[in-house]
Amino acid sequence: MVDELLFFMEVLVGGLLAGTMYSLVALGFVLIFKASATFNFSQGAMVFFSVLAFCGFMQDFNIPFVLAFILAALLMVVVGLCTERLVLRPLMNASEDTVLMATIGLGYVLEGLAQAAWGVEVRRLDLGIGDFPVPWIADNLKLFISALDIFAGLVAALMIIGLFLLFKYTKIGLGLRAVADDAGAASSIGIPLKHIMLLVWSAAGVVALVAGCMWGARAGVQFALVDLALKALPVLIIGGFSSIPGAIVGGLIIGATEKVLEVYIGPFFGGAIEGWAPYVLAIFFLLYRPEGLFGEKIIRRV
Amino acid sequence: MSNSSANILDIKNIEVRYDDVILALHDVSLKVPKGKVVALLGANGAGKSTTLKAVSTMLASERGKVTNGSIEYDGNSINKQTPSQMVGLGMVQVLEGRRCFGHLTVEENIISGAYSRKLSKGDINQELEKIYTYFIRLKERRKSQAAFTSGGEQQMIAVARAMMAKPKMLLLDEPTMGLAPQLVAEIFNIVKELNTKEGVSILLAEQNTNVALKNSDYGYIIETGRVMLDGTAQSLLNDDKVKELYLGISKKGRKNFRDVLKEESLTKRSN
Repeated sequence: MVDELLFFMEVLVGGLLAGTMYSLVALGFVLIFKASATFNFSQGAMVFFSVLAFCGFMQDFNIPFVLAFILAALLMVVVGLCTERLVLRPLMNASEDTVLMATIGLGYVLEGLAQAAWGVEVRRLDLGIGDFPVPWIADNLKLFISALDIFAGLVAALMIIGLFLLFKYTKIGLGLRAVADDAGAASSIGIPLKHIMLLVWSAAGVVALVAGCMWGARAGVQFALVDLALKALPVLIIGGFSSIPGAIVGGLIIGATEKVLEVYIGPFFGGAIEGWAPYVLAIFFLLYRPEGLFGEKIIRRV
Repeated sequence: MSNSSANILDIKNIEVRYDDVILALHDVSLKVPKGKVVALLGANGAGKSTTLKAVSTMLASERGKVTNGSIEYDGNSINKQTPSQMVGLGMVQVLEGRRCFGHLTVEENIISGAYSRKLSKGDINQELEKIYTYFIRLKERRKSQAAFTSGGEQQMIAVARAMMAKPKMLLLDEPTMGLAPQLVAEIFNIVKELNTKEGVSILLAEQNTNVALKNSDYGYIIETGRVMLDGTAQSLLNDDKVKELYLGISKKGRKNFRDVLKEESLTKRSN
């Protein structure tokens, strides 16, 4: 009985921590959704592009870890700058659907550029943190929990605190929330949309880099990261597209349920249900709570 | 010409098209003298909002373009500026329908108006206190979420937000739309106060002809994209045509739609 409970705890905690990895990816989507009201289909490609560049700087040019990370982050700011200038500004007055399609195109461009520049083979990324159980926790609590999962959880927590402070207490954060509410009204009082867009896309790029590092360390830096990022979709549906806490909680819920379901219900379906179980959960949310758990309700005075 | 420097805004014969096809303004000319309140009157679709957006350069975001004529603001001609540049030059538009940031608090809404100015925290608080002297009601509600305030309060938020940008000129698009008469009076009182105490020049678009003219120095009446009539507010209030068409008063006293129909059928019969 105790063993079973411990096993359940292990599955649950492992799932929750793995969920923070989804949350990290989802954060990037939320940032852009807040400012442009668009689902950024190129977020997965940004994850792939940024972490491949990071590996490339380290492995092809022998640049030290920290410097390579800073360079990759700067590169993502440049990508944000180019995106604003070449894609978003010409589409400034286009409909949201048009911008959505443009992000799909942008995704392909980034995937192609990344592979042209750094090659197509799978790269190993070593963060110096192993993806195996922490001995201390295994000995004392009898739980097998990966050090990488714990690290990802800490990083996710730091990023949320950072973004929360940025949005709530800085001038640019106020501008960003104003644009998210009503871009037309924001521009009528002199909030320059292009600066806000640049900031948001750069921030989403850096978030993509962090998420890419976590996933790359676990699964190898490879093209599959692009599709993995789409796992963020059910996370966003559950958490709400425009909410940063929502991205986190959504990620935790997805991580925990997919692992628990895989272990306890999976065998009845012949296993491997964690691939689709999150989407089933997402459908239920779409039916009964379409704005997600934390999504901003559309406030309308009657 | 000494006259031109007396006007903060000088619109000369502008023509505006949407999507390069739809002609919204045929020929509109108007002047706003420095420190005055000018009313732009007309029915729905007459071109009031379009005129204001042409001035604030907000037209581009609706795929509209000034295809003819010129606009001069504070001695400079306007063509390629962005809305945020116009705000930097001291021209702020309060959009139709108030357009508050619903998820922000009342105070955050007002502070956001100062975004284009480089102010310290202390300066912002000082400005905020000054703004609250005009909008006492907003001070009480400073911590509420803007979406849950009343229509009148939202209009005040929108004007207060625009005032935080320290404008030389305000463009108000239907500030009293959908408000109860008492609130209409309150809003206009504030607008007059801002005009006299802060020296802000004002161009306001209104359907509420009577109240607008009573609170303005000068008025223009536009219909289907053309200026039909203009004059001092007093002369327009006393004009027979204006009285009949916009104020619903004829020489014989108040007149309603049924009376007009009766008159028409009488003249038909006599023909």
